[in-house]
Parts: sequence; structure tokens; C-alpha cells
Amino acid sequence: MSDAAVRFTGVTKAFGAVRAVDDVSFALPAGALVTLLGPSGCGKTTTLRLVAGLDLATAGRIEIEGRDVSRLSAAERRIAMVFQSYALFPHMNVLENVSYGLVVGGARRAAAESEARAMLAQLGLEGLGGRLPAELSGGQQQRVAVARALVLRPKVLLFDEPLSNLDARLRRRVREDIRDLQKRLGLSVVYVTHDQQEALAVSDLVVVMRDGRIAQMGTPQQLYDEPADAFVADFMGEANVVAGQVLDAPGGTARVALGGVTVETAMRAHRPGALSLAIRPESIGLLPADDAAGGLPGRVRRAAFLGQTREYEVETAAGLLFVVTQAAAPAHEEGAEVLCRPARMVPLEA
Amino acid sequence: MVSRRTLAAAAVAGALAAALPGVARAQGQLTVYCSVQEEWCRPMMAAFERATGVRVAMTRRSSGETMTQIRAEAANPRGDVWWGGTGDPHMQAAQENLTVEYRSPRLSELQPWAVRQAEQTGFRTVGIYAGALGYSYNATELARRRITAPRCWADLARPEFRGEVQVADPNTSGTAYTMLATLVQIMGEEPAFTYLRALHQNVNQYTRSGAAPARAAATGETLVGITFLHDAVTQKVGGAPVELVAPCEGTGYEIGSMSIIRGARNMENARRFFDWALTAEAQALGAEARSYQLPSNRNAPIPPQAPRFEDVRLIDYDFARWGSSQERTRLLDRWQREVRAAAR
Amino acid sequence: MGALSLARLALAVAGLGLLLLPWHGLEGGVADIASWPGGAAAPLVALLPGGERWWLWPLVPLLVAPLPALAAGRVPGRLLAACGAGAIAWVFLQGHAIGLRGVAWPVLEPWLGEVRQTSLGWGAAAVLAGAAGLVATGLAARGRFGGDAFIAFLVVGSAGLLLLFVFVPLLTILSAAVVEDGRLAPAALAARVTTPEAWSLACLADRQGCGVVWNTLALASLTGVLSTLLGLAFALLAARGNVRAMPAFRAMTILPLITPPFVVSLSLIVLFGRTGLVTGWMWEWFGIPRTRWIYGLPGVLLAQVLAQAPIAFVLLEGAVRAIGPSLEEAASTMGARRFTVFRTVTWPLLRPALAAAFLLGFVESLADFGNPLVLGGDFDVLSTRIFFAIAGARHDPGQAAALALLLLMLTFGAFALQALWIGKRRYTTVTGKGDSGVPAPLPRGLKFVCGAVAWPWMAFTAAVYGIILVGGFVHDIGRGDMAFTWRHFLTGFEVEWLDGMAFRGSAWDSLFTTIQVAAVSAPLTAGLGILLAWLLARQSFPGRRSLEFMTMLSFAIPGTVVGVSYILAFNVPPVELTGTALILVICFVFRNLPVGVRGGIAALAQIDRSLDEASATMGGGAVQTLRRVILPLLRPAIVAALAFSFVHAMTAVSAVIFLVSARHNLATVYIVGRVEAGEMALAIAYSTVLILIMLAVVLGIERLVGRAQIGRRAVPATPMRAGA
Repeated sequence: MSDAAVRFTGVTKAFGAVRAVDDVSFALPAGALVTLLGPSGCGKTTTLRLVAGLDLATAGRIEIEGRDVSRLSAAERRIAMVFQSYALFPHMNVLENVSYGLVVGGARRAAAESEARAMLAQLGLEGLGGRLPAELSGGQQQRVAVARALVLRPKVLLFDEPLSNLDARLRRRVREDIRDLQKRLGLSVVYVTHDQQEALAVSDLVVVMRDGRIAQMGTPQQLYDEPADAFVADFMGEANVVAGQVLDAPGGTARVALGGVTVETAMRAHRPGALSLAIRPESIGLLPADDAAGGLPGRVRRAAFLGQTREYEVETAAGLLFVVTQAAAPAHEEGAEVLCRPARMVPLEA
Repeated sequence: MVSRRTLAAAAVAGALAAALPGVARAQGQLTVYCSVQEEWCRPMMAAFERATGVRVAMTRRSSGETMTQIRAEAANPRGDVWWGGTGDPHMQAAQENLTVEYRSPRLSELQPWAVRQAEQTGFRTVGIYAGALGYSYNATELARRRITAPRCWADLARPEFRGEVQVADPNTSGTAYTMLATLVQIMGEEPAFTYLRALHQNVNQYTRSGAAPARAAATGETLVGITFLHDAVTQKVGGAPVELVAPCEGTGYEIGSMSIIRGARNMENARRFFDWALTAEAQALGAEARSYQLPSNRNAPIPPQAPRFEDVRLIDYDFARWGSSQERTRLLDRWQREVRAAAR
Repeated sequence: MGALSLARLALAVAGLGLLLLPWHGLEGGVADIASWPGGAAAPLVALLPGGERWWLWPLVPLLVAPLPALAAGRVPGRLLAACGAGAIAWVFLQGHAIGLRGVAWPVLEPWLGEVRQTSLGWGAAAVLAGAAGLVATGLAARGRFGGDAFIAFLVVGSAGLLLLFVFVPLLTILSAAVVEDGRLAPAALAARVTTPEAWSLACLADRQGCGVVWNTLALASLTGVLSTLLGLAFALLAARGNVRAMPAFRAMTILPLITPPFVVSLSLIVLFGRTGLVTGWMWEWFGIPRTRWIYGLPGVLLAQVLAQAPIAFVLLEGAVRAIGPSLEEAASTMGARRFTVFRTVTWPLLRPALAAAFLLGFVESLADFGNPLVLGGDFDVLSTRIFFAIAGARHDPGQAAALALLLLMLTFGAFALQALWIGKRRYTTVTGKGDSGVPAPLPRGLKFVCGAVAWPWMAFTAAVYGIILVGGFVHDIGRGDMAFTWRHFLTGFEVEWLDGMAFRGSAWDSLFTTIQVAAVSAPLTAGLGILLAWLLARQSFPGRRSLEFMTMLSFAIPGTVVGVSYILAFNVPPVELTGTALILVICFVFRNLPVGVRGGIAALAQIDRSLDEASATMGGGAVQTLRRVILPLLRPAIVAALAFSFVHAMTAVSAVIFLVSARHNLATVYIVGRVEAGEMALAIAYSTVLILIMLAVVLGIERLVGRAQIGRRAVPATPMRAGA
């Protein structure tokens, strides 16, 4: 029980007739950074707010480190949250902002401020204590928000799209800072984003959500390599979803009928039958039409050179395939006849 | 931080101070509803406080408003004495059992009209002053229009006074009701209403307050204002170019009255005030306050400016009949229907 | 605040009310306390054993039942809610059943026998407050109100107060419309509501007066239209006319706020009465005959437009400035001429604001009492007719209630119209992006028209207020006697030096009471208003809409109706407040509440909700969040609410004219008395003093807020919360 930082058991949150979170159960391990990922309206932010206690669940049970907090208000849950807007108090300076949680928790002001000062130093914000939030840059504001949360030594630290207000250059650095900090301090973090790049880069575990339910949960690698359905496959990076027929898949390699030809490809064990298959664009090899190895024949409709990679759209009997190859691989002209060889396919649940 | 707390504390203290009624003084207290002019109310109360040490809380309202107040508070009266204001509502209050009987030892010092009123109401009210009804006109304006000076009620119905007469609305003013009742007593009911319908053509406004027409005549807002004559005297003494008329057909009068409210919380002090207000000294205060009514105490000095009753043809006003609720309602309804609603 | 500690506190308060505080109201004032713990100041615990208040025994088990659980640290939600609700219900039931004169409900008479009691006092108030706390914690413990006991208490408490001081009085007066001779009579209601006095159309046929409803409607519509047009002329000049008169315009907008009732009417009489100054000149120079046109519809209309036009100006100026110049530029680049642009773009964009200004003028005119009273002449409107139905020689509360019902319906109709009209069409051109275009100047013809309207009106306003300024210092401005004198100020504000200060002047008492009552009610209004705004804007709980409706209800009820309803509802036990200053304070608080609430909601919309949530996630409960985050950020709104409620408490008359008492008279009611007695000069002198006081307060507060903003240095643009 106590190994889970956050445990949901059959949690539902309804706003009127709309179920923003619908009968969700999961256990998030302690000391890990878990990302809630999904398109807008999928319920990821609501899930985070349910953890925080900013919304109370309509049904179900929520535990934090083994304690039932379902009926507790946010103030009583011992969590901390970094908001998308940072939500720094505009009428307090940085030091007052960071020591706020300690002061309302009953600490003496002097003690709270010295602790806050230490935390600011740890995040490289020395000397900014006297500034008002409006006098800081976006990145600084973000770090103040993190400092304000960390200083409370929360059981779980929550991030609500913390990078969305930063420009692209800063984003990569800040997300690495967050990851470093989490690892260094062994924090349990729940992190909400709609950006799968971001999710793949920082997470120990990703929870993909859709329409208030969990679509799939796993490590970034698992989600990428073995998406459970077309939605996850598409959301976790580009994927070609094609209709095919598994002829025989004992595990390891499989034979699949696709667009009138049979190809051999890597695939986990699956019973034979017609189904949808996901093929990552970078797992498709392009060979000249006369190559003896065989494959799905097609014609290059568009080709683009992007520096490190080349991108193609290939028309085949199984549909339009999006293919990415290394720049070093041989190039194919637009209009050229080619053979497509999928190195790996993922069977999708209906 | 400190200042904010002090502020909050001060606000709370202020709230308490405002909410809790003041501490009563040793001699007790008295709540008086006063229905004469403010200038008269105040020195009266001050003089009583000086004479007795009783702390007086006074509210000045018109007699109609006071009557409303006393009725609304009947289940739980707030006032002790109702002093001043025309006699009709006082008699009505007596009739509705809102006031109590009290026979002051000073009754013997009073004018006969005051005693008669007390007897008629079973000693629930007593007259403290009297004033004759009449009208005043603005002499300057009159001269400018070359209109001969009016002398009688009938003159006011003449066509040259079209839109030039002002009188209060009997629905809201005791003064106007006194005029209504007076005319009915002088002329008889049918001729009186014929006259009132004719007068209606000349009335420019039925005011709400009884004394307002005197003021309007003084400033020239109207040519003629029908009021009690003492209200007009006040204007004349103040320097206004007005002339007073006691109508030749005779006229009625009001008896300003005083009653003790049933359920008074300070009954003892209410009686003290009642007795004191009937003394000659107390009644002499009216003239000093520029109120020129006739005092009811025979020994009280009559202000030299006061319109003497000897100069006025006073009718024998039947207060008992015309002060009763039924007669009143009937007359008012008829007036509303036949006079007020008519086209002008 | 945790549910447990709040529940314990609530029980302690209830216990205090039960054991220590005087149960009944102190009839004899504070002096009664001397008799404690017996006599008039006896607490309930002293009354119970004697058996004289045996019907109050049920309160004891109700308040004792939660004790064991709370002592043991548990919060039994259902029990707390039931006990609290039971105690509240019992206190009110017994209070209504057994009155001053014995049993009020004949059904109960055989059971209760000969019993009587006086009003509820501080002890009962404490028991009620404690019981409300128990209900709140009980509900919170059962998961209502987000599980926050403090919020639950605020909601339950404010709902209770609103019910008691807004809803119940209203119900009382409206039920009077159905009652005749003490029994229910729907036929009487029908007759009263359809009376020709209200609906007669005789004025169309001949020269008789029309029904009072038509009068009211005509006046209100005219006031709405004229003040909107005048406001529009000023707004166009100010925003587009390129004139350098903004300080004068601004000064004009502050005037109606700080003008006591009547004083404008008096000034109009001095100017335009039959012997008025202007009338006199017209007569001497042009031979225009002196008439009494000012008394009636024209005079009242003039006075109301004087008050409303500046308010319309403020509304419309904002709207004109908010129209993005780029919209007009876009139209111009498409080849439209100036006037065409104005007609096809600017004007339609202005329409919602015009509707708002019109309806505001309309509603304010419906509620106005002072001006029709002084200038109405024979022209009656509903507000004055209600007053005289109550206070006149023909005392008829049933008719007054029926007329009040009509007035309420008109007001609600206006509000409904507003919701329909403005709710559906929304033209927002303020996007938060800077609009760099240059405002199009007014078409020349239009500018000329605006100027021709605005400048004479400015001069007129100046003349009216000039009269007020001068009137207090001259012998008798009504008769043109312009010799300088201090006499009026001496009458009102004389101070005698007889072993200490003695305030001899006749106005001192009412002035002191007025300032005291205004000063006490202003912080209460602002506080309660801001709290309610925070509840309504930030918390979601069942019944939020009804709470909002009740808050706004008191705004729609005309003052005369409120005054009469208060005296009907609170003159007799169980809640007996007439004759105290408390009733004045309560009346002001609940009448001015909607403005505080609206201001608060508007200000809260500018403060991102994530700030509250951040505080909550850092362990700040509702109380801490409110105190440390919300209230500091709301300071300007709080100060504005303070200023507004203070000034309104000083100028209100219609609501309080029945509520003042011997001990607690108010300035405005004193002025009514002076006006009635024809003492215009004294009334004007007193008004001057009031205007100066209010001006000082408003300017002082404005300076305070101004400085606060400068001290804040760069106020950050509050971050926008993007939906996720």
C-alpha cells in the first residue's frame, strides 16, 4: 500500500452531466516523475486537481502515501503545486511568496524566511528575495514558483503544464532542471502536459488519458513501442495505422498480409486475424523497386530533405505511408517506384 | 497590522455604542412626539429638561406621520407623550384607544374651549393652543394684478383667482380637513361641496403640508394660501408682504392638543410633562419661538401679533362630530370623488 | 478553519447565549443589565428553572446533544446539522407563537394558556449564531461546500441574514396587500392592484390627472431617455470631441453622488419657481408671465435628469472609449464618410451601453422619492403615493402594499428587460490587445449638436449648485433677500461654551447620528459585500444562484417599500428593532450591499483563480487565503465600497423616514422637516454641510487609493489562466 505516492480507486468527477474523470484507478510509485498526458479536455488537469484537493471527487477513493484524503480540502493534503500561470502573489515579494506556505502553516516569520532564503539559493535565485514577481523574467518566475512549492517538503509535488508560458529555448532547459531536481531530492512528482515530447523526455511513467479515462499507462519506451490502440499510437509520436491480416505471429517475428503482399516483420505474439496495425515512420525501410528482398510496393509522392532526416509520403496498396529515414540512407526521387519494408509493427486493440 | 486591528476594534465599539440605547439618567427619561414647528419643539423640551432634570428624547413629525407611527407601534409603544399638532388626529387617537385618560390638576386654569375638548374625549387629550383658520394673500402680487383684496371665503371662488389659490390636501393635512369641516358647518354640506368644486378651479396645487401655502403666499409662489392664521403671522413677522384674512362668513379653528400614549414606558414623567406643558410659563415659550397661536392657559400672555379670537368670527366648531373617524372618512371620500377628481 | 474547531466555537457561542447573555431584549436600555442575572437581563438558564419560559426547554437538549461527540473530537455531521436547524426553527417558532400580548395563534391557545414574552435579545442572537455554526459544520462534515466549514458558515450565515433582513420584510409588506381587516382577501388584492387610482387614463380624455402608474412610467421613461441623451452628448465630447474640459466633466460626475435629496429640488424652485430668480428676469425683460410650471412633471424630470445624466455620462464614456478605433478605421478605409461611419459602426456598438444607461435612469427614477415629494405638485408617482398611503390622514397599509407591489413589478420588469436586451447582444471590442488606431474625431455637425446640448447643461448645473452654495449664507434666497447672514448655520450648528462644549444647534443631534450610523454601516456593508462577492465568484455550492438573487433583490426594492416593510416586520417580537440605531444600520447595510457585491465580483474577475488555489495547496485554508491573498488584492474595491456605502447612508431618505426615532434622527429626515416647514434656507445650509462632509470623505478615500496604487510600483498584469 504505502509504496504508492498517489493511489486512485474508482475515482469519478462529474461536472453536471459531464464526467471529466470517469472511474479511474491507478497507483503512482513514490519517488518517480509521473506524467499525465493527453489532448485538452481529456481529464488530465482535473485528475491533477483531484490529487491536489482543488476539486473533490464525486465518487471513489484517493490516497496519498497510504492516507485517505478523499474528503480533505487542498490545505490539509500536504501536497504542493506549481501552476501553469505560476500564481505568484503579485502583492508579495519573492521572499514573502516563498515563505508563505510556511507562515500559514504556523512557522515563525524569521524561521520561515531563512528557510525560504535557503531554498532560493538552492535554485539559483539569491538576491532576488526583495523583488516583486512582476519584476522577474518568465524563467525566474517559474523557479520562484518551484521554490515556493519545494520549501514545504510536500509528499507529492504537482506541476500543471509548467512550461507552457516559456519560450521554446527556455523550455528544454527548465524541464531538465525539473528532472534533475526531482532525481536529486527523490521527489514524487505528478506532471501534467499535452506535449508528448516533454512527457517522453522527463517521465519515469506516463499516463495517457482520453475522454476522462486512462488510455494506457507505462514507461515512455513501452508507450512508444507498444501503444495499446490507435489513439495512443498517434498521440505518442507519428504512426501509420494500416489494416492488415496477421497470418501467424508466435512472438518475435510475424508474417502479415498487407496491401496484397506478405511481409515479415518484428511483432509481439498475437493470434492470427484481420486487425489494425501501427507502423512507426522511422521503422519503415525504403528499397529500390527491383530489390530482391521484396516488400510492399509503392510510389514516392513527396520527398523532403530535413538535414538529419529525410521524409517521404509513399502511396501503397495499404494506403499513404509516412516514412522517415536517416539522411545518410539512399535518397529516392519524387515519382520513384520503391519497396517499403516495415521492420516492426504493433497490433492495435480495436 | 496594529492599526488595522485598532480600526476594527473601534468599528465594533462604535457599532455597540450605536446599537445600545444610551444610559438613562437619574431623573429618568421621556420620549415626546412633537408635531409643531421644530423651533418650538426644541426650546419646549430644553425648558422641561431644565425644570425637571428629566432627559427628553424628542421626534418631530407632522401630526399625520405621528398618528401613523403611534398606530404602527400600538402593540409595543415607543413614545410617551404626543405634544402639539392639530386636534383631529388627537381625538382620533383617543377614539381608537391609542391614548390614555389623564385629568391634570391644571385643567382649571384652561380656557373653556380647551376644557370642552378634554371633556369630549373623556380626558384623553387636552387643548394646549388654538388657532383660527383663514388665509393670507401676497399684497405685492395682488397690487400688481390689480385685484381687489378678498375678504370672504366666497371671494376665493372668483374667476380672477384662477390658479392662484393654494391649500393643503385634506388627505394628508389636518389643516385642510379643518377647512373642509368648517365650510360644511358654515354652509351646509351640499352648498359647501358646490363651493369647493368652484374653488377647485382656482387651486393651483393641493400641498401635502398644512403650513406650506402660507409660505408659498409669502414668496409669491401663489397669490392666496389657505392656512391657519398663525402660520401666516409667522411669515408676516418674518417680513413677507402678506395680509391676513379672517373670512367674513366666519371660520373654524383648530385646538392644538396633547395626549399621553397608551402603554407609555415612562408614565410618571409623561404626567409630569403633561402638567408642566399646561402652565402659563411653558405656554409662553410659543411666542418666543415665533409661533403665534393662542395659548390655552388663561394666565399665559397672548403674543401681541397673534390673531385675536375677538377679531375673528369663530363658528361653534363641533369637534366631537367632525373629528370622528366615520364622518372624517365619509367627508374625505366625498371630497376625493367630487372635488379632487374633477377636471380643472 | 477546521470543522471541529468551528463546531466547538459555535457550540461555545450558543452556550454563551444560553448561560450568560440576557435572553430578551433590554427594554430599558443598558441600565437593565444591573438586574443580571435576574430581571429583564436574565439569561435563559435563569429563566428555565422557574418554569416561566417552559416552552424554551427543547433548546437545551438540542444544544447539549452534540457536546459529547465534539468533546471526543468527532464531528457527527448529521447530528450537528439537525440540532442546529432544530434550535433555529424552535427559537423563531416560539417567538412568533407567543408574543407581547399572549399566544398569537388561536389554535395553540388551549395548549399554552396565558403566556406572553418580549422580544429576543443578545442571548437569543448568540444562540442563533451558534446554531447556524452547527448547521454549517454539520453540512461541511457531510461533504457540502467543498468540505470547508468556514465557507459553509459564511454561506449559511449570510443566507440567514439575507432571509431575515431582505426577504422576510418584503414578504411581510406584500402579504399586507392580500389582507383586509385581518383576514385573507384575494379579492381585495385584485381591487387594490387594478384600482383606477393607479391605472386611470382620464388624462387622455380631459384635463384630469392620470393613474399613478402611468405617471410613474412616463416620468421614468423620460428621465431615462433624456439623461441618456445628455450623457451621450457629454461622452462623445469627452472621448472624441477634442475638448479640454475633462476636469469639469469629472467634477460634475461626482456631484449627484454627494448631493442630499431635496436640495436640487429646492434650488430649482429658487431658480424657476413662480417668484424664482430666472422667472423674475424673464418677466422683467421679456414679459414672459410667471407660471408654476416647475411643480409637476417638468420639475421632477429636471431634478432627476440633473442627477442621472452624469451617471449616464460615466457609463457611456467608458463605452465610447472602448470602441476600438481600428473598427472605425476599417470602415473609413472602405470609403465610408465620417457620418456614415458613425451611423453604421459607432452607433450600433454603443447600443448596449445606451440601453444600460436608459434602464439605470429608468430604475432610479422609479425609486426616487425626494424630488417628487418636493416638486411633484399635483403630479403623483408611486413612491410618494405609497408614502402617503401609509403616513397620510387615510392610513391604508393594504393600499400601500398593493402600490408597492406595482412598483416592484415595474422595477423587475426593467431588470428583466435589461437582462433580455443586454444578455443576448454582446459587442466586445476590448480584447486586451493594444489598439493603436487614433479615435476618429466627431463629425462636425454632430460635435456642434453635442456642444449645443452639453455646454448649456453645464451652465445650468453650475447655476443649480451655485444656488445651493449661496443659499445657506443669505437671509432668504426664496424671496430674493440676498443679504449675507450666518443665521441659518447658527440655528443648525451653534456651539455654546458653557462649562464645556454644548452643541445647541438644532441639527447637531441628527448630524452626529448620521455620521455615526454611516460610519458603522459602511465597514459592515463593505465587509459583508466583499465576503459575499468572494463566495459567489469563487466558491461553488448548492443554492449559489438563489443567494445571488437575494443579494441583488434589495437593490430592486424601492426605499419607501423597504422602510415600511422594516417597520411592519421589526416593530414587534420576536425580532424587535424599531427605535434603535441598529435598525438604521441594518437597513443601510442590506440596501447598499448589492453595490459592494457587484464591485467585489468585478474586482475578483481581475484576480486569477489560481492565486486562491496556490494558497490552498500551500496549506492556506479559506480564512488565511482570504486574509493574506484576496483581501489585500481587493483593497481598491473595498475602499470604493466603503466610500459608496458611507455616502449613500448619508443621503438616503426614503427608506429611513419611518425608521428614525426620537433618539436616532438622521440628517436627511431633519431636512425633510425643514422643507415641509418651508425653511428652505436652513435646509440648504444643512445640505451644504453634508455635501462638504461627503466631499471630504470621497476625496480623502480617492487620495488614499491613489497613493496605494503608486506605492505598489508596477502592478503586474494578472496572468490569464489558459484552459487545460
